[in-house]
Order: sequence, then C-alpha cells, then structure tokens
Amino acid sequence: MSNATLHELAGQLRSRRIDRRRFMQGATALGVSGTAISSALRARGAIAQDATTVTFWTTFTDPDLSVIGGMVDTFNEQAEGYQVELVQIPPAQVTDVTQLMTAVRGGTGPDVYLLDRFIVAQRAADGLLQDLTEYGADEAVMSAHLPFARAEATYNGVPFALPSNTDARAIYYNRGALAEAGIEPDELDSSNGPLTWSRIAELANQFNEEGSGGNYSRLGFVPWMNQGWHYTYGFSWGGTFFNADACEVTPDDPAIVEAFQWVQDYCVDLGAQQVQAFGGPTMLPGFPAQEHPFVIGTLGMQVTGDWMIHQLEQYAPDMDYGITFIGVPNEGDESATWAGGWSVVIPEGATNPEPAFEFMSWYAGEPGQRIYTEESAHLPTIAALIEEADLYSENHLFFSQQLLPIAKNRPPLPVGARYWDELTIAWQSNYLGEAEPAAALASVKERVQPDLARFCPIEG
Amino acid sequence: MAKAIPAASAAREAPVTNWWLHPVRVLNQSVVPRLILIVMCAVFILPLFWMVSVALKPTAELSLYPPTFWPQQLRWENFSDAINVFPFWQYLRNTSIITGLTVLGAVISNPIIAYGFSRIDWPGRDKVFFVVLATVFIPYPVLIIALFDIFARLGWINTFWPLTVPLFFGNPFWIFLLRQFFMQISQEVSDAARIDGASELRILFQIIMPQALPALAVVALFAALHAWNDFLGPLLYLQDATMYTLAVGLTFFQSASQYDIQFNLLMAASLLVVAPVITLFLIFQRAFVEGISFGGSK
Amino acid sequence: MADTIVLPNTIQKPPERSGFNRFYRKHRNLIVGLLFISPWIVGFVAFLLYPILYTLQISFTRYSGFGEPVPVGFENYQHMLNDSVFWIAVGNTAFYLALAVPIGVVVAMVLALAMNQPVREVSIYRAILYLPSILPLFALSFVYLALLHPSRGIFNQFLINLGLPNINWLGDPQYSKIALVMLAQFGAGQAALIFLAALKGIPPSFHEAAMLDGASAWRRFWGITLPLMTPVILYDLILGLSLGIQIFTQVFIIFGSDPPGSPANSTMMYVVYLYLNGFRYSQMGYAAALALVLFVVTLILAMLVFRWSRGWVHYEGA
Repeated sequence: MSNATLHELAGQLRSRRIDRRRFMQGATALGVSGTAISSALRARGAIAQDATTVTFWTTFTDPDLSVIGGMVDTFNEQAEGYQVELVQIPPAQVTDVTQLMTAVRGGTGPDVYLLDRFIVAQRAADGLLQDLTEYGADEAVMSAHLPFARAEATYNGVPFALPSNTDARAIYYNRGALAEAGIEPDELDSSNGPLTWSRIAELANQFNEEGSGGNYSRLGFVPWMNQGWHYTYGFSWGGTFFNADACEVTPDDPAIVEAFQWVQDYCVDLGAQQVQAFGGPTMLPGFPAQEHPFVIGTLGMQVTGDWMIHQLEQYAPDMDYGITFIGVPNEGDESATWAGGWSVVIPEGATNPEPAFEFMSWYAGEPGQRIYTEESAHLPTIAALIEEADLYSENHLFFSQQLLPIAKNRPPLPVGARYWDELTIAWQSNYLGEAEPAAALASVKERVQPDLARFCPIEG
Repeated sequence: MAKAIPAASAAREAPVTNWWLHPVRVLNQSVVPRLILIVMCAVFILPLFWMVSVALKPTAELSLYPPTFWPQQLRWENFSDAINVFPFWQYLRNTSIITGLTVLGAVISNPIIAYGFSRIDWPGRDKVFFVVLATVFIPYPVLIIALFDIFARLGWINTFWPLTVPLFFGNPFWIFLLRQFFMQISQEVSDAARIDGASELRILFQIIMPQALPALAVVALFAALHAWNDFLGPLLYLQDATMYTLAVGLTFFQSASQYDIQFNLLMAASLLVVAPVITLFLIFQRAFVEGISFGGSK
Repeated sequence: MADTIVLPNTIQKPPERSGFNRFYRKHRNLIVGLLFISPWIVGFVAFLLYPILYTLQISFTRYSGFGEPVPVGFENYQHMLNDSVFWIAVGNTAFYLALAVPIGVVVAMVLALAMNQPVREVSIYRAILYLPSILPLFALSFVYLALLHPSRGIFNQFLINLGLPNINWLGDPQYSKIALVMLAQFGAGQAALIFLAALKGIPPSFHEAAMLDGASAWRRFWGITLPLMTPVILYDLILGLSLGIQIFTQVFIIFGSDPPGSPANSTMMYVVYLYLNGFRYSQMGYAAALALVLFVVTLILAMLVFRWSRGWVHYEGA
C-alpha cells in the first residue's frame, strides 16, 4: 500500500547531489526573498497607547515591588496631565531582557524600564535604549550620582540611564558561632581594618568541622559563596579588568591570576568537591534563605551585600554578627569592594518619553531615592543622600560611609554580559580545581576581546 | 515481567475463584504485576508527593534537617496564601480560554492534515511530509523575534490569538502521530467507500476518525497540556498582567534575586495549577486507553 | 489551453478515456490531497517559512536585534569552528541525546508493558505513572532540584541509606548531565501512553497463536509485540530526538543560576547557548547561524534515523 514513506524520500534526498553553484543560487534567492519579506514586515505594528499613561516595567518582586508601587502612587498624586502605570513582568531568570527586546521591536514596549545598571552599556550599544541627553539628562543631573554609578549609566560619554540604587559587598561574620568555636570575633571588627586573606583562612580553619560521608558540616569561609565573585577577588588583589586606553579586556592581569590562584589553593586544600557540596546548593535557585549555612550558623564568614542585613533581620533576628572589610592580600593593603545596582531607562519606541523622563528624574533623583532608601533599606546613588546619616541603620552606615566611597564597579562594556559569563565559567572551573587560573583567564580574554574590538574605541 | 495476557482481556482480571488451587497462577497474574507496578509508581509519584508535602509545610518546617517526609503540621493556608500572590482565578480563566481554543484547533486541523498525508495518494506527498517532519527540528528560540514581528504587525500582541491561531494550522508532532495511526488502518475499507461514491471528507469522519478516536484523544490531551503549561509564549505575547496565564503566574514566587523562593507557596500554587489537568486526565484516560483499537485490525 | 483541447476529447472519445482517467485521478488526488493539507501549508508559510528565511538572512549579518544588521558574509559560520563553547555545547547535547533518547524509549516501553497488565486497579497505576508528564516543566524542575539536593534532598538520603556514595548531582560537572537525563525519564509517561495504545492494538489472536506454539512471554515480546510497536517507536525516537536536542527550560531553571550551563559549562546545551547569544550577548546573527546549523544537523540525524528504521519499522498495511 501507500508505504513509499520516508525511507524512499531519504533515499532520494541522499542520491540527489546538489552541486555547489546551484546551492549558492538557491541560497541567494532565499536571502533576497527573505529580505523582501522581512522589510515588508518590519514596519511597526504600533499599538495605540494612551498619551496620558507612562508605562513602567519592572521585574522586581516583593518586598521591593511594593515599595516601588508606593513610590509610583506618591508620584501620581502630584503628576500633571499623565499617570505612571507600574507593570510587573515576570522575574528575569528565564527571560533576561527577551520580553523587553521583543516588545520594543514589536512597538509595544514600555516608556520606562528598570534595568540592571551593569548591562546598560551593552543594551545602549545594541540600540535598545534612548539617549537621555535630549530629555534633560545634563551634567547637573548626572553629577548628582556617585561616580561609579554615573560611569555605569553612561556609554561612550552619553547618558543612557539614571542610576536608582546601589549596593556594596563586605564580609559578614557570625560572632556567636565563631566564639563558640574558640575564635575571638573582636579581631574581625571593622575598626581593626581589613584582615589579610591568610589570616581569614587561619581563622576559618579553626571553625571547619567534618560531618558524615566525608562532607563538611561546618566551614569557616567559602571564598566563592554568595558575593564572592571573580570581581570581588580580582579587585581585592588590585587587579583591573579593562584597559580603557588599549580598549582591551584584561582578565589575564597578573593580579587577577594571583587572586584566582589563592582561591583555588584555598578550595583544593579543603577538597574542592567537598567545599562545593557544602556551598554549591545555596547557589542553586530556590534555596530557602532561612536554610543558608550562614543563617543556621554552619558558615562562619561570608562575602555578601548590604541586603543581607535585612535578610538576617528576617531569618535570624537574634544572631550576633558583625560586618567588616573584604580581605586584603598583604598587611597594610587597601581593602576593595565593588558596587552594582539598578537604573531606569527609556527604551526605543517609548510612546511618552518626555513625561517618562520627568518621572525618572523624580524616581532616581533625590526625592525618589530618599523614599526607596528609607523603605527598602537599599543604598542610594545620590551623593547628597549618602551623607544623611539618619537615613541608615547602624549596620547600613558601614556600607554608606565606609564602603561606597571606595567602591569600584564592573567595567561598563558593550560585552558586559558575555564578559561576566566567561569570567564566571573560568571562576567555577578555578574553584573546582579543574583549570589553571592563568590558562582559564587567558581563554576569557581570547573569547571576549574579539567581540569588544568591534566597538572600539570606547570613550570613558 | 509477568506473563503477558492477551490484550483483549486487559484490565479485566482473570477470575480466580478457587485461588488456593492455583498458587502459581495467582502469583503470576495478580501479585507480581502489582508488585512491579507499585514499585514503579513509588518512583513516579515522588515529584507529586514532594510537591504535596512541601505545599502543606509551614515555612519553618522547610528548614528542618533531615527533611520531614510528611509535614508534622499541616498548613492548609498555604493554598489560600498562594492564590493571593497572583490573581489565580483570573489566570485560570485566561488559561482555560487559551486551552479550549488550542484543543479545538488541534482536533480540527490535525486529523484533516494527517488524512491528506496518509490516506490520499498524491504525487510528492511523502516529500512534503518530510518537510512537515523537518519543521519539528526548528529551535523555537530562533523563531521568537520573527514571530513576534509578525504578530505585532497583525496587532495581535496582548491578545490570545498568537497562542491559539497557529494551532488551527496543524502541529507536526500531532500530524505525525495521527498519520502513523491512519496508515495502519486497512486501505480496503476506504477503497470500498470510494467505490460507493463517498467523499474523502466523509471517509475521514465516518470511517477513519472512529477508528482513530484514541489517537485523537491523545492529541487533544497533548494539546491541552501544551497550552496549559506553555510558558514562553504567554510571557512574550501577553504584556498586560491581567492577561497572563497560570504558568506565568508561577514565576511570581521567585524573587528578582532568584535564590529566594517561597517554596511551600510555589508548590501549593503549582498543585492548584496542575489539579485541573490531572482531573482531566483521570476522566479521559479511559477514553483513550480502555478498549483502544489500533488500526483496523480487530 | 491544454484543458480546452483535452477535455472535450475525453468526453467524446471513449478509447482515450481510461488513459485520461488515470491522469485525471492522479490530478484529482493531488488537488484533494493539497486541499487536505492546506491548513498546514498556510501555517507553514506564515509561522515557519518567514521566520526561517528571516533567520537565514540574519545569519549572514552581525545584528544586536536593533538598528540595521551589518552584513558579514559567512563570518558567523566560520566563527563556530573556533568557538570552544560551541563545541562544548555540541558535545554536551550529543552526550545528553545519546543517553536520554534510548533510555527514554526503554523506560517508556517498560512503563507501557506495566500499564498493560491485567490487574483490576490498573487505571490508578497508569494515572500515577503518567502524572509527572503533566506537571509543568517549570514546577517539575523545582521539585527535582529539591529532590536531588546534595545535602537535603530525599533522593540522596535514600542513596546514603543504601550505603551508596552521596553524589553531588547538581554541583559536580561529572554528574550534572546525568541529572538531566534522569529528569527526562519522569516525562516517559507521555511516550508510554502512545506505546500503550499500540500495545492495545495488537490483535489478541497473534499472541494466542504463538502461545499455542509454546512461545514464552519473552519470545512473544521480541517476536510479536516489539515488531508491531515499531511505528510508534519510530515516532518516539523522532520526538525524543527533536525535544532532546532543544533541551532548554530545565537547564535554565536548575543550572541557570549564573550563568546558565553551570557548573563550569557542564550543562551548556546547544539551544541554551543559542539563546544566550541571541538575547544575552546581543549576537542575533550568530544565534541565527547556530539555529540553522542545528536545523540542518538534526535533519540529517532524522534522515539517518529514518534510513535506519527502514530495516526495522513494520507497517501493518504494507
């Protein structure tokens, strides 16, 4: 019966050789028709949007979402001629900026978008974001922000975003748990300045404890947990990740290689896989914050951000803990930390950019950031607000007064996402003891630099 | 594996009235299969069991180590808390509409197309069918941009159309599945009907479809699952929060930091999301499993 | 023109009639056949052909997704050859397919045979075995994450109780892909259901005849059941291949912490890499080239499977 089916077909396809020229002709024809179709379809299917509504998309969830919602309400009470509408889009894990990108292309994007500031340069280079100069992002507006935040919001000298908050990294230590293990926690007090990494390792080793099955039940310190990133250690060893003059990424900076080496040695000494088994699960999505080893007292020290203050209030309200500087390679070195944070942008195709900018100036300006700092306990990027000591709790003061002034930032590059990912892959192989630091970092450069080269030169 | 019993008597246990006279037969027919099935079920129920267990635990109990297999304390409020995280009923309504249209599209279009690829002998048919199969291998992420451009141009963004209309034009998997079934139905029946002057559509609906009902039920179920669980589609095409579906709603249990998830509420919500599908499956499983006839060879 | 000449002739001249009828029937079949598949044709052109042509066009450019694409010729294709992560992704995906697809067929077959047992409450078992395939991948991935948790998951507690090593499924690059293969098996109920349908369709007379000849259950499985199931096995192979090669969501949820494909690229799958290039690294052109290469490679794979299946697929009507 009709069983010629696919067998025959496969045979026919196999036996019929397509010569190269014919293939190329076909490919060209396809390409030409493709171009024709796509240009015919490229015209925007504009969805009429209300001229009196500024749509504001965010991937934030509670509790910060409620804070933003309250801010939008406050703003709307005094806004004239338009209202801001806050739209929560699903968190960015699976989506990245996919939803924003497709929407903007389809002409259905928002007027304002809350974007991780670290990625602003890349999205600006992509052509996704609007130059804010024409709406009024002048020197006065931009210089109100801390220098690193301003740098991240700018690409090639053009402002593409208004920084809206920031953060910083430090070492948290569980005073109670350390004391119980016979370690004097006062040594870590920030008034003593930063400890050297080797001293931190010594203290940590006194805390370590092996449990069943060859795994650790307690560890003093795991370099790569939480906010212990490549950048954290690279900066600590005084490394630089980007050479602006040569327009070159420099992950192979000897200082960064040295930092990687220290982390690798530390992990391999303890058993890289056992350390992974201890700390890895906390880096997996969905790990309950209340189960974190630091919260339950099985991790003595960790590098993390200012937001941990709030989490500890929630999950371990009775914990006696302290916050200090990130370690230094040698006695007397300056401690380094780095800051990240968010910003507001106007995507291409925004229907109401002028009122959008008016809202953004308020939201990312002093009035907005004051509310956000007070209610969300995140740090502001407005220099003037940093100096208002009564905005912060005692623990926060350490971040705002001691850390933000020395904070560095990840280089704002049009290849920022790839650079981060490549560094992270090298970082993981490094702390798992699976790669030579120098080789891993050299390959990062090899993979990122060609992408970056297309955008050179980049103006600071 | 236990002794295979002729399929006709499947699900109908062979009556063993005087079982004490046939211990081996009882062992082979009743005990061994059950043991095997129960062990397998123990493995396959695990994800659902764990969902139920976590969904009923109070937050504090989540951090116990070793984890409690069954909640020490049942917290039913997790369910009411969960449906307050996102507009559950609204999303249920949206998802139901999309699923209904999807199933409708799938059961109308796929049999017709599959018929054209199996029961009518036209030149080039199998070559074209190969193209159908080839489309299965197009990675979806790559279509996203172009598809979005098309739907935006049609003005379909923020409507259910991008999620439902394409289903009325066939799905390669389901065409393939139905075609495999159709091809096994004896050709003589339709030839006879043709000689009697029956139109192809009549042959499809009166002769072929009744024999392929189980396959059609499978397609309907798969289509329903596809629509119910689809995540990326609604995420991209529905931008108004009131239009979202349940699958998208589940993402709201993740915080932006992505590490911190209210696990018990996420599981409670997930259970509520899958409950209708499980019910649907339990109702219809008889339809496509019991008394299935594969092809025309009864 | 041909019609105006031929048509009257056929009506008027009986001797040519049979010849024309044969031609006409062919013609009729083509028209009717095309009519039947016309919904697919429309959908294909609108929702696939255009995106594919668009992808082809983009694959010869450098394009962020905005502004004008910059033509670069074959650069994107050449770049693949030197892109180490591309090859890692190819290797990971091949590894995953080579394990997940065949194991998937075996598991589905075992499930189907079990679902076909003549015990009274079999419908309960069927429902249970099928249940994991109903769960949204999003939720299932999170549950799986919890079950395989190296220190808290009950799966590892079980292993420890059996005296087996406590394997770090999700953190050890050696095991992370195996974890994905195992996860895939929870979805075997889908294929098992189709297999079950095929099992049910095997005429009882076949088995009865073989039993009279004294064939054991084992021999009857290989001699009767399996050959008659080959069409659906082929279906499942193709399904498994195409879905497996596009593995994406579960990687993003389970190994997507930062960056997807962790730890150390061990779960970097092809489509994940493609997605990252398109939407994270602003390399839409490269992503398009990756897509087309994947498309061609999987087509070849499918063709090989079909060619191979010629030796073992049995169509009853044939």
